[in-house]
Amino acid sequence: MNTEKLIDCERSHLLKITKFRLPHQFIVVGVVVAAISIIMMFVRASVMDGDTEWLKLLLQKTLLIGMLLMSVSKDKIEDEMTVSLRAQSYTVAFIVGVVYALVMPYVEFGVSNVVHSGGEVYKDLGDFQVLLFMLMIQLMFYHTLKRYR
Amino acid sequence: MENTIKVERAILNITQNDLAEKIGVSRQTINSIEANRYVPSTVLALKLSEVFGKPVNSFFKLSDSDYE
Repeated sequence: MNTEKLIDCERSHLLKITKFRLPHQFIVVGVVVAAISIIMMFVRASVMDGDTEWLKLLLQKTLLIGMLLMSVSKDKIEDEMTVSLRAQSYTVAFIVGVVYALVMPYVEFGVSNVVHSGGEVYKDLGDFQVLLFMLMIQLMFYHTLKRYR
Repeated sequence: MENTIKVERAILNITQNDLAEKIGVSRQTINSIEANRYVPSTVLALKLSEVFGKPVNSFFKLSDSDYE
């Protein structure tokens, strides 16, 4: 295989990855998984006793999986405009997510110290918080852009 | 970019929905193109050209803002 064929092969693989979308039905699966995770989070926090930290971590993961399924599912009518709007929403979510991860720890630290003197110590955001925020921004932005198209 | 797709559609007496079905996009996409909110790809423009039976530049025109 010569160099050009290798480059073409690489390019087509990259295109396949960038064009990857799940069928439209997966949006329903995503909504159900995310909804069940949120409900279970409330149940865990209010009803369950004992050491349920493992359940909290599990539910965080399933919530992210549900939202990811919603994010990568195709629309009922997927065309070039929805692809373009989705790309815009991912761009915005990425930029806002990075800014959020940089700024939010200082905001939390500042607010907690203003509200009660000697409040919380400075701590970085967790991966769940950042990923959840990015997925929320992406989904909200995508659906808002679609509504106003 | 400006276009006269609405006029072309009226000539053929077809709705946005009909046109959308013919070229495989959503009605909202046709609406956005007609309102100059979205510039379609060359592929979509050529599909429109096929439906209208006219060259692309007869219903798509560059506007002054495209030269800025």
